[in-house]
Amino acid sequence: MTPKGVSLNPNSRKTKFARRFIFALSRMRNPIPVSSSIEEEVRTRSHKIKIAAYLSMARAVGSRRAWSRALLFKLRTRARRHNMIIRRRSFRLKKKRIIKNDPQGEPSQTKKLRQLVPGGKTMDMCSLLEETAHYMTCLATQVKVMQTIADHFAK
Amino acid sequence: MDGRENEDVGFQHGGEDDLHCPSLGMSTNPLPEKISGMIMSSVSMYKPSNGADPFFSSGWDPLASLSQNQNFGGSSSTVSHSEFANPPYPIALENQGTSSTGQLVRYPSNSSFVELVQKLPCFGSGSFSEMANSFGFPDCGQIANSGCPQNYASLKEGGTGITSTNGALSRDDPQISCEGAIGSSPNAKRRKRASDSKNSPITHQNAEGELQKSLSRESSDVLKEPDEKKPRIEHSKGSNLRGKQAGKQAKDTSSGDASRENYIHVRARRGQATNSHSLAERVRREKISERMRLLQELVPGCNKITGKAVMLDEIINYVQSLQQQVEFLSMKLATVNPELNIDIEQILSKEIIHSRGGAGAILGLAPAMNSSHHYPHGIFQGTFPSIPSTTPKYPLLPQTVLDNELQSLFQVGFNSCPAVDNLGSNAGNLKPEFQ
Repeated sequence: MTPKGVSLNPNSRKTKFARRFIFALSRMRNPIPVSSSIEEEVRTRSHKIKIAAYLSMARAVGSRRAWSRALLFKLRTRARRHNMIIRRRSFRLKKKRIIKNDPQGEPSQTKKLRQLVPGGKTMDMCSLLEETAHYMTCLATQVKVMQTIADHFAK
Repeated sequence: MDGRENEDVGFQHGGEDDLHCPSLGMSTNPLPEKISGMIMSSVSMYKPSNGADPFFSSGWDPLASLSQNQNFGGSSSTVSHSEFANPPYPIALENQGTSSTGQLVRYPSNSSFVELVQKLPCFGSGSFSEMANSFGFPDCGQIANSGCPQNYASLKEGGTGITSTNGALSRDDPQISCEGAIGSSPNAKRRKRASDSKNSPITHQNAEGELQKSLSRESSDVLKEPDEKKPRIEHSKGSNLRGKQAGKQAKDTSSGDASRENYIHVRARRGQATNSHSLAERVRREKISERMRLLQELVPGCNKITGKAVMLDEIINYVQSLQQQVEFLSMKLATVNPELNIDIEQILSKEIIHSRGGAGAILGLAPAMNSSHHYPHGIFQGTFPSIPSTTPKYPLLPQTVLDNELQSLFQVGFNSCPAVDNLGSNAGNLKPEFQ
């Protein structure tokens, strides 16, 4: 299907994300069946795809935003943290609360929001809201692109 | 060179029109000619890429045409006047300054200008440095250094955070004329005026009051440029604030030496506590409410919600639903057989067509989504609107679960929906957080 004179912005977040994600997907194509069951294979594969999606989105945003930086850091150190958790179960890393939040903030919702937005644990309320807004827009584009890709494959 | 001596004289004249020099032409003023002559000579040393000849021809027109080719900042003159019909800085300048300043505005945030400004006083350095950029930094600096040594003091007074000069603003004040960024020159004036007034212990918001005054005086709409506005000046554009400030206009507020740093200047409103803590608290609250308003616009279906708590709930639900959608889509992608030829442009064009077709289709804004849950997937072609595109391709997953998930995802509707929490067993594994 040829685009009917539709102009694409090559620098938009959407195209950047789409490029990276599609590239990651194409690299991930592994037609060799894994020994484990199909369901588990699908699960691991979907997990990988999810990680790839978040990673490409964070890369498309770059280091400009706190949430993208936190997300990139988290994804990069996943393997390390995974190993530490498995190998050193007795040794627990204590997380330091860096910023004591203002006591006026609402406890339950703010905490939940902090858990949702990457990097939200160490932000004050003001920047948390800002990062949430940006994160929401990026998530929306991510969902749109992924949906288009999925439909493209599903045809 | 004759230009240099004359330009010394020119700067001592009070810098009225010396800063219009980068326009390089159309000046009734003899002064900018000489300065531009010097610019010309300096430019000539660097062999502009399309030949030095146009620079030395008699008329200014070649320069203008040259500017159009090479995007020289200041050399654009009458030819490009039409461009500046609506410049970001609609400053009422006497003569050719409009073009220069208008052009200058476009490069306000180039950090390299900072050094240039200190070295090239009062050449409307935005434009000159634009030329200089193409020709090389240090040599230009030398030329200018030899030219105007005595203005360094005034320049350095301007501080390091300055970008392009805008001399038209501070025409009245020769020392500040070369100061640079527009935001800083009204600040300088404020500082000067502030020295006369008494210092008050409370931080005041100078932005609206003082700058309005200075603006009206200079008849320049500097502050329309949002980029130039340093973050330290807090904008509360509520009309009530202005009205209440009008009563306090007579009193000069001073920021002391805090205008340079990242302080937020807030003025106490009429009838409110003037404690510094409560002022800071109010600023913080206003910031938060402003962000909440932005978020309200982002989250669909939240126009009627008033109140922070409910809004936060909505936001949390929305983010959670988005993350679950990502999970679901990644699962979907995992089960789809890969096609080897993935065309990005195709996909993106589909995306664009699709998004033009139905805005907000993905998130199921219409409550009638349940009946046609395939709607967001296959609308773009319009040829198979009634074929659910998702179901036949997933023999691996139980289709009922898939449909349920789809429906529940689209049903969320950004009201707290218990169905979201009760997705099928598959969804139980689909936690948005990574392990």
